[in-house]
Amino acid sequence: MSSKPGLLTPQKQIGWASWATFIIAALFVWSLLAIEFSPGRMIQVPAQVARVLSFFYPADMAYGWETVLPALAESIQIAWIGTIIAAILSLPLALFGARTLFPRIARFVKLVSATARAFPEILLAIYFVPIVGLGPFAGALAIGISSIGMLTKLGSEVVESIDFGPVEAVEASGGSRILALRYAVVPQVLPEIVAHWLFRFELNIRASAVLGVVGAGGVGGVLLNTLRYRHFEKAAAVLLLTIIVVLIIDMVSGEIRRKIIRS
Amino acid sequence: MAMVPPKPARNWPLWGGTIAFLVAMSWWSAHGIGFSLTELLCNSAGGTRLLQESWPPDFAFLPRLIDPFMETIYIAIVGTVVGGILSIPVAILAARNLTLGPIIWFADRNFMNILRTLPDLFWAMLFATAVGFGPVAGALALSVFTIAVISKLWSESLESIDMGMPEAVRACGGTWLQMVQFGAIPQGLQHYVSYALYAFELNVRASMVLGLVGAGGIGMILETQRANFEYERVTMIILAVLVAVLIIEQISESIRKRLA
Repeated sequence: MSSKPGLLTPQKQIGWASWATFIIAALFVWSLLAIEFSPGRMIQVPAQVARVLSFFYPADMAYGWETVLPALAESIQIAWIGTIIAAILSLPLALFGARTLFPRIARFVKLVSATARAFPEILLAIYFVPIVGLGPFAGALAIGISSIGMLTKLGSEVVESIDFGPVEAVEASGGSRILALRYAVVPQVLPEIVAHWLFRFELNIRASAVLGVVGAGGVGGVLLNTLRYRHFEKAAAVLLLTIIVVLIIDMVSGEIRRKIIRS
Repeated sequence: MAMVPPKPARNWPLWGGTIAFLVAMSWWSAHGIGFSLTELLCNSAGGTRLLQESWPPDFAFLPRLIDPFMETIYIAIVGTVVGGILSIPVAILAARNLTLGPIIWFADRNFMNILRTLPDLFWAMLFATAVGFGPVAGALALSVFTIAVISKLWSESLESIDMGMPEAVRACGGTWLQMVQFGAIPQGLQHYVSYALYAFELNVRASMVLGLVGAGGIGMILETQRANFEYERVTMIILAVLVAVLIIEQISESIRKRLA
């Protein structure tokens, strides 16, 4: 109102944004105090990190080839089996979870997938370890179960976004709902769903790497032990090899995903 | 019949190769982890006993969870704020249209990718070793994790902004910093807030398990009860965690929807 004619300055939006900033800042300071992260402590952190990092050099590569690579292979195996379990079980769930195809069942399927998504893998592994024994099999089951939730959700979103023409064409020529799924829905959604499977595999590699912490196999247990006994050169080998292997898998899988989506 | 189009020919070598790879990989993996249904069935007796023991949850344990639970939330808040602030320059320098030069772009991009390769619990283990067990290690680990999450997502959305505004600032003689401040950030702000909230959701979830490696929060209690096989308490902790995570996610999601 007060601005002169001809001088159009945009009205600054003070209001909810500055309130939000203020509240976040207050929560932040309060949290800092609560975990006793004083400024004195903060100043020490870089030096402490640098000190530990200096112990990491040189990496003990002999240990790397002997112990870390097999453990990494086990992590990959856990992630692979977990992803396969989840992929097989989530494909029908994704179809039935599509609101556009099965409005009634979809609500129930969505509820199940939301519950499965809420469990972090590592908490599931805490239950599977006593049930099937210490080791990678428990890890694979935990990864599989917790991946079902996300794959079902993403898959049913893909199914909901399809072109309905082919479905109507199959039904108009006398095909059943099941035939429509086979010939009209699956061919349309499969590339994108496979891309989601690959993406989930990339995430599962990281998830399976930490499962060793609760005794469910893989490279996480190795890292925990080397750090616990302060074998920093060995820990450096674990980190180095993990970074390299995960980067390679990410690159290959990302490339395949791009090819699938484009074709 | 002449109207029927020919079936598209399949690329058999590609199909055969893919299927052979999938089967080989699955066989190698199943063999490697000792996947066996017999073991699963033989152990089912022990499994049912465990499940019986873990139900009903020990509700008397609930009051003792309040303090560690609050610590978990503090860790998530500190991690999100510190990581959220640090991720701003990382994301801007990794956006191809805003970065300062190809070398900086390349270095920052690789830095981001390497941060992303390590899972959150690895960072927690490293910081717990460096600064000692406790919530500070957890907050530092989540800060790094948050940088990885936000900068990856935000740099991609910054690459798709309308470059007219930044170019206009430049044309008026603005410096690079002014271009970013007045040309780029206002366009990307909404995405940034939504990614920061998403990172907070991930952090709340992650901070529940950080304690398994000694980085503070409710996970530390979980670890001691698990080691003592007090499964009715483990169930109580996990149920409480799930309810809390779901509530926080609902709130955060409704804020994100309102922003969009």
